[in-house]
Amino acid sequence: MNEEMNDEMQEREEAMPMNCSHFKEALDDLDRTGMPAMMLREAALEHAETCGRCAQLMTDTEALDFSFHQIAAHDGNLQAPARVEAALLQEFRAQRAAQSNKKGNWRLAALASAAAVLLALGFSLRHVSLSHTTSVASETSQSTLNANVQQGSAEANNEATEVAENVSTDAQDATGFVSLPYATDPGTLEGGTVVRVELTRAALVSMGLPVADAGSLDRIPADIMLSEDGAPQAIRLVSSTNLGQ
Amino acid sequence: MTEPVELTDDGLLCRVMAGDEDAFGLLYKRRHPSLYRFALHMSGNTAVAEDVTQEVFLALIRDPKRFDPAKGTLAGFLFGVARNHLRKRWEQDRRIVSLIGDADELGPLASGNGNGNHSNGSGAHVNGNGNGHYVVPTTRDEFASIENVTRVRQAIGTLPENYREVVVLCELEEMSYEEAAAALECPVGTVRSRLHRARAILLEKLRDARPVRRATAVGE
Repeated sequence: MNEEMNDEMQEREEAMPMNCSHFKEALDDLDRTGMPAMMLREAALEHAETCGRCAQLMTDTEALDFSFHQIAAHDGNLQAPARVEAALLQEFRAQRAAQSNKKGNWRLAALASAAAVLLALGFSLRHVSLSHTTSVASETSQSTLNANVQQGSAEANNEATEVAENVSTDAQDATGFVSLPYATDPGTLEGGTVVRVELTRAALVSMGLPVADAGSLDRIPADIMLSEDGAPQAIRLVSSTNLGQ
Repeated sequence: MTEPVELTDDGLLCRVMAGDEDAFGLLYKRRHPSLYRFALHMSGNTAVAEDVTQEVFLALIRDPKRFDPAKGTLAGFLFGVARNHLRKRWEQDRRIVSLIGDADELGPLASGNGNGNHSNGSGAHVNGNGNGHYVVPTTRDEFASIENVTRVRQAIGTLPENYREVVVLCELEEMSYEEAAAALECPVGTVRSRLHRARAILLEKLRDARPVRRATAVGE
């Protein structure tokens, strides 16, 4: 940009002699380093020699520049007092400490979150594993149960129905297991698989359970213990309140 | 010769952001004098200049990401923050601008360095006691010179803010037009025209007050 301005000024200088207007325009930059007007200095001085007003203006301008230089020299070493730097450094340290605390808190939070996720993952895996085992067992037992119930218990009228979930958890109100009349191995009760079914009262009575109102057609949930080969070995009512129904 | 990357303003700022206290100290030492003088010349008040300098660097400490290298230099950014703080102060208290003529507040500016006793280069002895500063001229010429400088300083203080900024940066801080334009976030042409106008106003004021002392007698 300066080169363009230099060229422009040079062309102007060559084209016409300096007048008062050009003089005023160039005056402020006559002594400014790197400015194109410096090239016009000689022409400006020549003009000032022939024009009293411009000579006065140049004198005033130079006096002003001289004052600027003096002020700059006077103030050149002025600095903020040391207390400003001390206060800033203190703030810098405080800020850094706060940031590192913040980072520490974030790390702690991240660790806690990771631990929580791992725990949740562990629990869900365990749950999935248990559900899988139970559903495989109940699928196996369902067919066997149906077959056995149909075969061995004419009184049950093929009424056994599987209820999807497994059982054992809500046994607080349950009655004790009662061996079925045709149980082949009552000793396996301890390690057998339990399957929840819904049976009619009549079927339950036929299996030896003490259920009132045997003629009723409603179904009552019961747990059936299956042996390893899937044969029903024992039965219990899920809720003892059913006994009185 | 180019400066090592870590010693450029941007490099130092990166280190500051990483918590390097030495880098902050270096950056402060490099940049604060011109900011302090700018605030001092703009406000005419040492307390304000200290506060503004502190606020500028506090802004850098608290939120260094506010500086975007794509938008300009760090120096320009710091001057911008200083200007904003000065404007806020002027809005809060307009009296700051009218301090011209207040000998107590102009003390350090009228006498030069406020860091202790020294000679000011023109032969006058400058005494500083940490709070008030004064110059003891030893000759008639020195007295006239100091008087003239004081008058110019006072005249600068009465300039409108946008003119005063360019005078402080271009004449007192001796920045180039380009540097001043970066600091003031305006085009170079604007800086140039404002400076031209500011100098004309100053000459007018000084002529009205008393003819300024002539450094060189052209045509005489």
